[in-house]
Amino acid sequence: MAENMHTYAFFLGCIAPNRYPGCEASAIATSRKVGIELVPLKGGSCCPAPGAFGSIDLNVWYAMAARNVVLAEEMKTDIALICNGCYKSIYEVNKKLKENDELRDGVNEVLAEIDMEFKGSIDVWHLAELYYDPKICGVKKIADSVTRPLTGTKVAVHYGCHLMKPKKERHFGETDNPMWIEELVAALGAEPVQYRNKMQCCGAGGGVRGYDIVHSLDITNEKMINLQEVGADALTEVCPFCQLQYDRGQVEIKDKFGIDYGLPVLHFNEMLGLAQGMSPDELALDLHAVSCEPFLEKIL
Amino acid sequence: MATVKNYGDPQLEEKLKDQYFYNSDANPNFTKEVEKIGDTLAHMCFQCGTCTGSCPSAPRSSYRIRRFMRRAVMGLEMEALTDPDLWLCTTCYSCTDRCPRDLAPTDVIMAMRNLAFKLDIVPKNFLKTVQMIYTSGHGVPNNDANRAARTKLGLTADPPTTHMYPEFIEGIQKIMHHYDLKENADRILSEEGQ
Amino acid sequence: MADVAVIGAGVAGIQAALDIADHGIHVHLIEKSPSIGGHMAQLDKTFPTNDCSICILGPKMVSVARHPNVTIHTCTELESVRGEVGHFTIRIRRYPRYIDEKLCTSCGDCIAICPVEVYNSFDAGIGVRKAIYKPHLQSVPDIPVLDAGHCIECGLCYDVCGPDAILKVEEETQADIEVASIVVATGYGLFDPVKKAALGYHAIPDVITSLEFERMINAGGPTRGEVKRLSNGMRPESIVFVQCVGSRDITVDRPYCSGVCCMAAIKNAILIKEKYPDTGITICYIDIRAYGKGYEEYYERAKEMGIRFLRGIPGGVIMDDGGMTMQVEDTETADLETLRPDLVVLSVGMEPAPGTADLAERLGIPLEENGFIQPADQKLGPVLTIRPGIYVAGTATAPHDIPDCVTLGQAAAMQAYSDVVRRA
Repeated sequence: MAENMHTYAFFLGCIAPNRYPGCEASAIATSRKVGIELVPLKGGSCCPAPGAFGSIDLNVWYAMAARNVVLAEEMKTDIALICNGCYKSIYEVNKKLKENDELRDGVNEVLAEIDMEFKGSIDVWHLAELYYDPKICGVKKIADSVTRPLTGTKVAVHYGCHLMKPKKERHFGETDNPMWIEELVAALGAEPVQYRNKMQCCGAGGGVRGYDIVHSLDITNEKMINLQEVGADALTEVCPFCQLQYDRGQVEIKDKFGIDYGLPVLHFNEMLGLAQGMSPDELALDLHAVSCEPFLEKIL
Repeated sequence: MATVKNYGDPQLEEKLKDQYFYNSDANPNFTKEVEKIGDTLAHMCFQCGTCTGSCPSAPRSSYRIRRFMRRAVMGLEMEALTDPDLWLCTTCYSCTDRCPRDLAPTDVIMAMRNLAFKLDIVPKNFLKTVQMIYTSGHGVPNNDANRAARTKLGLTADPPTTHMYPEFIEGIQKIMHHYDLKENADRILSEEGQ
Repeated sequence: MADVAVIGAGVAGIQAALDIADHGIHVHLIEKSPSIGGHMAQLDKTFPTNDCSICILGPKMVSVARHPNVTIHTCTELESVRGEVGHFTIRIRRYPRYIDEKLCTSCGDCIAICPVEVYNSFDAGIGVRKAIYKPHLQSVPDIPVLDAGHCIECGLCYDVCGPDAILKVEEETQADIEVASIVVATGYGLFDPVKKAALGYHAIPDVITSLEFERMINAGGPTRGEVKRLSNGMRPESIVFVQCVGSRDITVDRPYCSGVCCMAAIKNAILIKEKYPDTGITICYIDIRAYGKGYEEYYERAKEMGIRFLRGIPGGVIMDDGGMTMQVEDTETADLETLRPDLVVLSVGMEPAPGTADLAERLGIPLEENGFIQPADQKLGPVLTIRPGIYVAGTATAPHDIPDCVTLGQAAAMQAYSDVVRRA
């Protein structure tokens, strides 16, 4: 087993380590069981937030994301990460700088000031796509790693935006009704459920959550209505920022709109952790604003 | 009619309500700048509205991505940059994936926001993120409750990022200084009394 | 006098064949499918006069079939071409029909007894046919065809056929024909809206294409002319047409305007209004292209009838419990609307017919950038190709409406005729 491990530099970002450490812990623990070793990317920073930084000055966004990529280049290791926002910054900047010499030269001019150089020698992956990729892991291996199937639960999937969109800058194909994360969910023994307008944004991105929280929550609320209609026991996603928006957002929706959904929201890594036998404590599920108990009761 | 804007500036509201475009408002360089920064040929837009039809922000505001595309084509710089709706795009890229002209309206918005920032037009939450990252390397930094939780999980109290290795923060600060980003953020926030 | 070959028996090919034959020249009309008629035979009415399409095409189909100077080769494709203008030898490949055309009396007993039902491509997939079938009521030749791919060899049709016209075994055949000139009128294909996944075609039953709608509202079609929702068989109270699906769209390599969809949608909207005046109809468009004689007036008439023209394309179609919603901006007012139609008709664009590239290669003529056949000169030689003696008519070169197809068929006929005369 150990000699067949695929090793990646684990880019953490902000929200996973600093708000939902269970996402980080479960990523490390669950990936190891399917032949993926995540090693720390020392000195990584905010990706930086594509909405906030990209909106202010794309050049700074390129340079700061490139710095994170170079840290992994120095380790001679591809990056794996667990957040769609980070994916937008790290994956997209890596790709753009590899393809665009003018852009790369500009970024390298700045990086030279801190004795770094972007070489374009590594690739960037979302852990979820590595889980799905049969060359690395694949759905079967995920299913085989399950010791406590999530049988009897209905789980809805939120794909988020920046993993698969814009499609011409990605490699996932059609973005209107993808099903690959549902395949992963089914591998855990849960029943994936479809809901209206699945690919709609959570409402948090682009700095809107900070700029106009009511507007942002109103988008989230529309998603919650659609999720409630199909009777999902939980929502899973692959982005801690979306998770924050759905999880803390439900508290804010209750506060501002007076609607209480109480829908547990778990990162796919957390859900995989549960299915592999990790306890709620080992996933710090108590840090979730919306109690995961109703979901846990069905599987524990 | 589209939802009324309540952004507090009567003159601007009047301007934004006007459906007409005026040549005197146009700056042809604006189109070119937006196309360069956004890396998309905005002038190819034929205003079909597929973008607005795909937009999650449109149903709950007066934000119309198609109008911003129009402003990009027509060079209506100030009309675009001063419109508070500019900041309601969640950057979900649904419009970009559906545009039949193969354009990236989302990146047009990003380019306009970049140009707005050059005129000191920027919501303060964006600048606070800048300050946060300048100080800690993180837009959402660690806190004591989270440190305790991390320890319980068997993780290090601080993640192995700039939090555990603060010596890396200097590099980040140098990058931000290179673009005067921190200086501008501080200045704009202090002028607004923040 | 030498013969002429016309490849493709839609309205352009039929017209070309008739005109050449009327000049005393023998024509081989070669058609891939079991009946001549092409797309026009599938349409319900024609704009801007609302003439019944098959009622004006049918007589032409019959004329060409009865013409002493025309030999119709159905189930037949062009295999190769040798020689030069005045002296071409074409090889044709005939696929088995499994019916002895001389013995068959067209009684239809075989069709009635056949137990197999499959989707009928003539009805654009919304109706069914048997495994032995006539594509439609006015098929020419009026002879069934046995679909070996779906036949279960039950033997019922062999037994029921009085003259024993059904062949258990029939092989593909080839033949060589000498012709002085060739008219290519192979028509168009339809854009497959599955490529625009947001519109929900195939995922949502009440999202249909414009051709499916033509079959549905046609009295000879699978619903006997009743407009229905495929989901529940109910009559739709509100219908939305979405224009430019697969036209003017760079992302699917269809940058050109298909030319006919605006008028076709207006026509269909008018037909619905005439049949069911209470139906709410919205046409979501980018630009209305009503450029021909009487077209603008037709558009105005549609507006007067209460058909709504909304300038804006919806982002997609979302399925709801028992219905659909579409988010669309009225781009003339910046108002955002949510449409809740019972039926969505996608006005799908025209694209090069399947196999056009292969055919062009066999003929030694080039394609233009979108995959249509390249005429020698778009303005001054629209029916000429770079190869003397080979002409092109109808939608094989670009989207055209019916009058233009007829005109082009006639123009190509004149050219093909001249080659015969020159040789003689």
